[in-house]
Amino acid sequence: MNDESENFQEWNPPARRRTTLPGGADLARRLMDDMDPEILEFLKTTVNTFVKWDLVLFFYENSNTTDTADNIARYIGRDAGAIQSELDELVSAGVLVRDRAADLVVYALTRDAQVRERIRHFVSASDDRQFRVKAIYHLIRGSR
Amino acid sequence: MERIKTGIAGFDDMLQGGFLLHSANLIEGAPGIGKSTFGMQFIYNGITLYNQPGVILTFEEFAQQYYDDAASFGWDLRALEKADRLRVIMTSPEVSHADLARVDGRLQATLNEIGAARILVDSLSHFDRLSDDPVTRRGILYSFINSLKREGLTSVLTRESPALIGEIEGPEEDVAFVADSYILLRYVEIESAIRKAVLVLKLRGSDHAKDIRQFEITRHGIEVQAKFEGREGIMSGSPRRMADSFVEAFVRR
Repeated sequence: MNDESENFQEWNPPARRRTTLPGGADLARRLMDDMDPEILEFLKTTVNTFVKWDLVLFFYENSNTTDTADNIARYIGRDAGAIQSELDELVSAGVLVRDRAADLVVYALTRDAQVRERIRHFVSASDDRQFRVKAIYHLIRGSR
Repeated sequence: MERIKTGIAGFDDMLQGGFLLHSANLIEGAPGIGKSTFGMQFIYNGITLYNQPGVILTFEEFAQQYYDDAASFGWDLRALEKADRLRVIMTSPEVSHADLARVDGRLQATLNEIGAARILVDSLSHFDRLSDDPVTRRGILYSFINSLKREGLTSVLTRESPALIGEIEGPEEDVAFVADSYILLRYVEIESAIRKAVLVLKLRGSDHAKDIRQFEITRHGIEVQAKFEGREGIMSGSPRRMADSFVEAFVRR
């Protein structure tokens, strides 16, 4: 082990390292306890990254959009490479549908009324700052 | 010939009653002059005054922008969408073109779903990036516009002109070829004030007003007013009094 890593170990010994924010799992549980179970499930299983949140919000606000991954990336201000797998996961989750227009692969919001209602419920809850804080905390924990 | 009224005060008179059924109508003008407002009004009036559902196909603005802009005129586009009388579709020219070219495409399904009779395409300028070759671009536009006609739509197609004021080039070959009518919206400077002018350059298969008229965007939308009296050179952007021109031409020689 070189000097640099030894210094780092001394500065950040295992006992000091945290894998969660102050309060740990208890805080996380408290934060999620009062969340609507349906929304919490949607957050855990479907909108489980910030990019997916952006995509779900975009398709909620532009529910008739059909477009390529490249153009959708441009609309939400992200890199196309960063959203491709997220789009595909949202397709697997039943939020989006994948289609072809000539030689183009395009994505659109599902027409399933139940899924659309779940999205509406989620976006409506997102209007509340408290909810957003909790959801962001959840996503940060999930990304570790 | 059956006419499709725009419902825009003073404008249908310029067209001898309205656009022709299933026609493609190009509205060209500088940024901010009112092309999208014109198109929204054509769609909104179609739904609310003439019972003709419509689609706004946008390649630029988010749907929310249209809801907000329309709300400033008292037009509730969200309510019309909820009532299945309108769809605001944000997409790209390449996807809409490819989608309309296929059988049972998504766009076609949406048009059928609401029984759309009108469409605003905002804006056609975005087709420019699909090809640098004018012949290819013209082919794409021709096919796209024909697919709108095939679907039984009367369309308003907006297009930006780069010049804010002053002389502009004539209609581009590709657009002039495919559009059934060509409407020009222009800023003009008169006595240190900017006014807006509208001119019908072309209306295929019909007579139309040849004069240049003023228009304003009021809280009810676009209202076309009287023609510019006693001035010439309106489309240059800096009109002169006709008396001044007379003096210049004959007296000062």
